[in-house]
Amino acid sequence: MRMDGLSGTFSYEETAYHLPVTFALTGKAVHTADEARAAYHATGENPLVACECLTAAAETTGGKAPPPYTGFLPDAVLRTLGYSLVDGSILGLVVVAGTPQSPDAAAALCRELQEKYMLTFLSGGIVDSLTGAGVKVGAELRLVPLGGRPFSAIHFIDIIARVAMMFGGVTPGDADRLLAYARERAKAIAIVFPGLDEEETAVFDAFRLLGIPILSAGEYEGSEWIRVSAPEAVRTGMDLKGIKVSVTAIPIPMACSPAFEGKSIRKEEMFVEFGGGRSPAFELLRCRPAEEVEDGRVRVIGPEIEELKEGSAVPLGIIVEVAGKTMKKEYEPVLERRIHNFVNYGEGTWHVAQRDIIWVRISKEAVSHGVRIEHLGKLIAAKFRMDFPDLLDAVQVTLITVEAAVLEAKKEAEKVYEERDERIRGMKDTDVDTYYSCTLCQTFAPNHVCIITPERPALCGAITWLDGRIAYEISPSGANQPVAKGRVIDAERGEFEGVNRFVKKASHGEVDRCSLYSVMEYPMTCCGCFECIAVMLPEVNGFMVVNREYKGDTPSGMSFSTLAGTIGGGAQTPGFAGISKTYILSDRFLQAEGGINRLVWMPSALKEELQGRLVPKLEGRGLSGLFDKIADEKIAVTIEDLTAFLAQVHHPALAMKPLL
Amino acid sequence: MTITTLSDWTGQVGTVTLGAMKADGGTRSATVTIGGERDLSFIGTPPTGHRPLIAYELCDDPSLWPAPVTRFLGDRASDPAEWARWAGEEYTPDLIRLFLTSTRKRGFSDFASVTTTVENVLQATGLPLIIEGSNDSDLDSEVFRRIGEAGEGERFLIGTAEAGRYRSIAASAMAYGHLVIAQSPIDINLAKQLNILLREIGLPHDRIVIDPYTGALGYGFEYSYSVMERIRFAALKGDDDLAMPMISSAIDSLTVKEVREADPSVSDRISVAWELYAMLPATIAGASIVCVRHPSAIQPLRAGIDGLWSAPAGKGGA
Repeated sequence: MRMDGLSGTFSYEETAYHLPVTFALTGKAVHTADEARAAYHATGENPLVACECLTAAAETTGGKAPPPYTGFLPDAVLRTLGYSLVDGSILGLVVVAGTPQSPDAAAALCRELQEKYMLTFLSGGIVDSLTGAGVKVGAELRLVPLGGRPFSAIHFIDIIARVAMMFGGVTPGDADRLLAYARERAKAIAIVFPGLDEEETAVFDAFRLLGIPILSAGEYEGSEWIRVSAPEAVRTGMDLKGIKVSVTAIPIPMACSPAFEGKSIRKEEMFVEFGGGRSPAFELLRCRPAEEVEDGRVRVIGPEIEELKEGSAVPLGIIVEVAGKTMKKEYEPVLERRIHNFVNYGEGTWHVAQRDIIWVRISKEAVSHGVRIEHLGKLIAAKFRMDFPDLLDAVQVTLITVEAAVLEAKKEAEKVYEERDERIRGMKDTDVDTYYSCTLCQTFAPNHVCIITPERPALCGAITWLDGRIAYEISPSGANQPVAKGRVIDAERGEFEGVNRFVKKASHGEVDRCSLYSVMEYPMTCCGCFECIAVMLPEVNGFMVVNREYKGDTPSGMSFSTLAGTIGGGAQTPGFAGISKTYILSDRFLQAEGGINRLVWMPSALKEELQGRLVPKLEGRGLSGLFDKIADEKIAVTIEDLTAFLAQVHHPALAMKPLL
Repeated sequence: MTITTLSDWTGQVGTVTLGAMKADGGTRSATVTIGGERDLSFIGTPPTGHRPLIAYELCDDPSLWPAPVTRFLGDRASDPAEWARWAGEEYTPDLIRLFLTSTRKRGFSDFASVTTTVENVLQATGLPLIIEGSNDSDLDSEVFRRIGEAGEGERFLIGTAEAGRYRSIAASAMAYGHLVIAQSPIDINLAKQLNILLREIGLPHDRIVIDPYTGALGYGFEYSYSVMERIRFAALKGDDDLAMPMISSAIDSLTVKEVREADPSVSDRISVAWELYAMLPATIAGASIVCVRHPSAIQPLRAGIDGLWSAPAGKGGA
């Protein structure tokens, strides 16, 4: 109704953004009472627009607010402010309004805000309370007195609107972008003391639209404001907007940088190793309630580095527990996969593979500089906090080096892996038109590109299609990117135009074509992390699969490690493919070559591991009996023995179309 | 033999424009554009992209500048504005690169001088400017804010951002409309990572110029050459995070023993030779801006670049 009484023309000085809130919301430069009323109605009677127009009118006719009040801040000040926000010398913005009952409590609150690198704007009776309590105010002290009435808090919003337009690329008039920017990027909170009247309350309530949490240290009834006591206001507000003082250095006696990521630690350089088939080892990342995670805590259960024999293989369990308001259980596998990078960032630490087949080494040199097992945990905890500051509030790491305890915890971990694999089961490649890439391993294999589909997980087995989607959600510029399938080139081989285009680019021009379901023609490249290798055996017209844990000979004449050395490094090797274990269960497995009927040999441990899921699957496909026709090392380790066995059991591969 | 291309590249180096004239909110008498290559440097007739440019480097505290140059310059080195005017008029480089070396002295605290120096140099020359600020994270925030402010709208190229300290430089570019030099220590992976960090903080790719760091000849230049080539290959193969133009500076060339200890009678000739023979190959490796400190190096360098640029097809090896 006060809008009806508005008259004349008005404007702020030293700004290119007119009345910034109104300009940002409507795209209209408002300078007259009629324009103001039009904008007010166009925004559905937005109280922020009303408050801004009235404030601008009052400042135009009544002159600028008297010192110490600043009133409207010119663009030049805004630029400096924006600079400090990007620069990191200011972590966030706070507006404090109303009149505190206890000036001392208000003074303590503002001091805390100063200490936490927040830029604080003051609006209303709070300014007098602070000066009364002996607190100096002023922009240089990071306490900016906007005005003597709570309405002056509208200047806090015009600051956010201008920052969005100057730094966030928000176009004036694009209200949706503005709101999204304010919600997601602006680190702003409001703390309200008592003394706001009804109109003022309505204006502050409208701040919530911009994702600004309103912390009420007063007696405001029935609103959606968050009630806090004055001493807890700052912490609560900062937590709600995820504002935190960041970790900058990792306190370990070893350099830590992506520069060291591709560096191997050879056997001669190694002080101790974990896993890699030489000792039981696993890694697991779990999401926990905040109260169960103490940030930065690292525990080592079992012998430390000084109690270990040089050159030995030691059991290891890496359990990372994280907490965060926006953290979801679905994110666990994606974050868990990052342990691989983080450990490799250490100058003297090395990591390959994933889940319960990890292989970790610590170098002699690192140990001579004082690196201990606990530092692995410190490194992991710090890097998670540094790389996912918005997602994770706390990270704690437990490292187990006692065999019995590792084995027990590993059983639990295996249940979790199984639950994760279960989630993706049932989804078909034809259900989606976007696959996901993974180029996480390009530090080791610069031209390798994994294409992850619902029915074909990453060859490391650690990232499913769902994980790829989530990873992209968490970090849109990360190693998992959406890949539009595009036109089908060959449905049998699973070759798609969109996938080829992506692979060509992501492989830096090295790989032109990629069939998702064929081992023989344009197979996917291999990094070095594959859980298993599928190998064509021309003598028996079929394929064998060998997993990383299996150390013995295979009918191909080569062990896993020899095969891995032959096909890894980002090359495309027809006849060979790096695959995950669960891919064996997929309907797409060997599709172009005739499907699972071609499978003639697997190590017995792998057979056992898959049996529970594979046998029903085969029965469902009318292939009951096939499972027993698949040989293992107990039946045959030479191609001659294998040929004889397959003939004896009438393995279907023998009668299929020749592979060559 | 006419070399047209070596491969079917899929990518292209982005273009970056330095400097702003009056219509765009600046005061420069010209702007320059670099990048845009769709092939390796100097391949094709005419070559793709923009011709490499020469920046002349000067500073505001000559006590931290190589002696062969300050000897040649005499008193001119004591006033950066006069130095910039003189070099711009007499030697016609494409750009002036001002190093605020005063900020690199121990105990520096005269922040107001940053503003004054930048303003004076802006007045003294109409060429687009590259400004190098402090390299101490305790000073960066204040120094780069002042550089940005003093040149608001001038579209400076500001340096030098590194992996550990890039926020102030990026903030200055974002707040006041400038561009950023992103430097990595002769390492393609770190170059890429820094570009990603800059993008995530909100700086678009078309406001970044890569400095892969250039060693002096015989003191690591071959590593720099190789990493520049690899960055260019990555860009041409479609890696957007490395598809920015590059800047290369002969920053170490005048401090090597052979130049430092040269007989004063041949000091100028030796200095020019060392700068020339590092910077001309740098353009072949892919640098879009090459920088020298001895003014006499500008003309021979320009002649070399022009010769490579307009060599008629079939005579490349002559």
